[in-house]
Amino acid sequence: MTPAAPRRAVVLGGNRIPFARSDSAYKKASNQDMLTAALDGLVERFGLAGERLGDVVAGAVLKHSRDFNLTRECVLGSRLAPETPAYDIQQACGTGLEAAILVANKIALGQIEAGVAGGVDTTSDAPLALNEDLRSILLDANREKSVQGRLRQLLRVRPQQLAPAIPRNEEPRTGLSMGEHQARTAAEWGITREAQDELAMRSHQNLAAAYERGFQDDLVTPYLGLERDQNLRPDSSIEKLAKLKPVFGGADGTMTAGNSTPLSDGAAVALLASEEWAKQRGLTPLATFVDAETAAVDYVNGREGLLMAPAYAVPRLLERNGLTLQDFDLYEIHEAFASQVLSTLAAWEDPVFCTQRLGRSEPLGAIDRSKLNVNGSSLAAGHPFAATGGRIVAALAKALHERGGGRGLISICAAGGQGVVAILEA
Amino acid sequence: MSTLTTYARAALPLVPGASLLPFVAGRGKQMPALERRVDGVSVDPAHLADYARVCGFTLRDTLPATYLHMPAFPLHMQLMTDGKFPFPAVGLVHLRNRITVHRPARVSEVFDVVVRTTPIEPHPKGRTFAIVSEARVDGELVWEERSTMLRRGGGSGEAASGSAPLTDGQTRGAPVTWTLPGDLGRRYGSVSGDRNPIHMHALTARAFGFKQAIAHGMWTKARALAALEPLPDAYTVDVEFKKPIFLPGRVTFAADDGRFVVRSAKNPDITHLEGTVTP
Repeated sequence: MTPAAPRRAVVLGGNRIPFARSDSAYKKASNQDMLTAALDGLVERFGLAGERLGDVVAGAVLKHSRDFNLTRECVLGSRLAPETPAYDIQQACGTGLEAAILVANKIALGQIEAGVAGGVDTTSDAPLALNEDLRSILLDANREKSVQGRLRQLLRVRPQQLAPAIPRNEEPRTGLSMGEHQARTAAEWGITREAQDELAMRSHQNLAAAYERGFQDDLVTPYLGLERDQNLRPDSSIEKLAKLKPVFGGADGTMTAGNSTPLSDGAAVALLASEEWAKQRGLTPLATFVDAETAAVDYVNGREGLLMAPAYAVPRLLERNGLTLQDFDLYEIHEAFASQVLSTLAAWEDPVFCTQRLGRSEPLGAIDRSKLNVNGSSLAAGHPFAATGGRIVAALAKALHERGGGRGLISICAAGGQGVVAILEA
Repeated sequence: MSTLTTYARAALPLVPGASLLPFVAGRGKQMPALERRVDGVSVDPAHLADYARVCGFTLRDTLPATYLHMPAFPLHMQLMTDGKFPFPAVGLVHLRNRITVHRPARVSEVFDVVVRTTPIEPHPKGRTFAIVSEARVDGELVWEERSTMLRRGGGSGEAASGSAPLTDGQTRGAPVTWTLPGDLGRRYGSVSGDRNPIHMHALTARAFGFKQAIAHGMWTKARALAALEPLPDAYTVDVEFKKPIFLPGRVTFAADDGRFVVRSAKNPDITHLEGTVTP
């Protein structure tokens, strides 16, 4: 028996809650609350109540140990049929897009007909862990058979060990925060403060315009009093951005709170299906999920910048699909930091990088900047780590459909020196 | 008025002779038509989150059916401490609570809440009346609640019309066990504002004849409703409060086909609450 030949997986749409700034509108909402809210909105929008879907795949970067089956718990709390299976994945900021790749691949192989991909993160309701020494003592005490033995272990506890371990935005192998890593890359590529502020301002303007013209109406569902992303500053200007002090890269740094994404809370999901499934339900495919690639770089030994993996993933994806970097109508390059986007674009234009590091005969070249993040990106919307992929997949699919067709490129950098990229086509 | 003074005032008719005073409830035999209202009730998402956490709800953009009981509750207390109210508020037993959600009520909406009394009806163990609460958004009725209260004593032996029991005594589905901590009454009390001494502590509960603090009936109803999520957009959830749950304690919850029951974990013959959810 031969398995069915791969078929097209299409994106039907998505739903997210407005993203909130850390310790603000969603300060008491858990990952489970927010992902359930995003799923509820999707179920309502696409009439999925009582439907058994093939898979719901999502994840969170910052996760409580009690949330081991987070996505499945959310499915059980949603109006999807309780017979809908679910699993969690985690690939840092690439989580949401990687989830979409997994769902699309199962659809393409005929293993499932429809599935949901997404992610959620909270930096407010963050998991606090026991101090590592205290945890070790408690486990030792638990292994003791006698009361005396347990007491002996517990007497090792010192007051300073009672302070909890707080999750930190730093690379375990380098001890540097993501911002510090990126500040080095930005300096290496000579990315100016002005260029970063310009990109940040465009992100706010584009997202504000997207809300104004109703583009977000069927992508976002209000939650806990928020109707738009809390970080969005429609009146953002170069002058205001220029006043901010550098937060990474020391006193001479170029990266500020204005051109770096803030810590944020939120959830996003996208609905993918086979063309037949969509047709049976009278749903319009917005775009085909064409192909995807994941890359990683050796940032530990300093051979490459932490967030430069997409610069490697995209050329491999282009080559496999016989495309050039210019063969796209829209580009969605996740704005972890404005300088990350600009470093990546600079690398693709650089003959030395493209020949020595990518092994190409010539550079990938420049892109038409007017096609970049046309409806705003993470600098304006905020970036709840695992939620960003779902936000971008749904928004790009809609934008491609809206313009009557075309090809779009998604690029997302992730902690651990990883990058996840994909092509959508309408 | 703080809940403490409200409860002090609610207890005033228990003081011998106090009910002869004009401002103290508990003198009449007929239930006068009393009404109280509060307009412009808005929801603080942080309070909703605390409520969702203590009751086990997912924090959604729509309010749990039991949430609007909280802004209505101080109005209930006002009615029951009104000089024209025929019974002392302390000692009234919350027998049954029926809530109808006409459409989902959203966090960002503003509610006008009105509560009123219904006439006294006979009951085998005494006399009953109800407090009907309604919540409107721009005039549209979105939520209503009927709390049936029992005044023990002087029972006529006959049941009131239209109060067929909800229960059929059947076992429902596979039971799950809930462990209720000793401070549950204080936790729910601080979120809901209902700091009735019978829920707060064993010592304060003993003063009212309970051997231990008892769980709020509206917490038990809310916890059961949370266990039934996801719920439809519009529905009625009706419960009968049978026996108090002593804190700390362990109870079982079982549900099947729109009916649910909370029983004692130690003695399944003791039913604490039974209810239905109907579209």
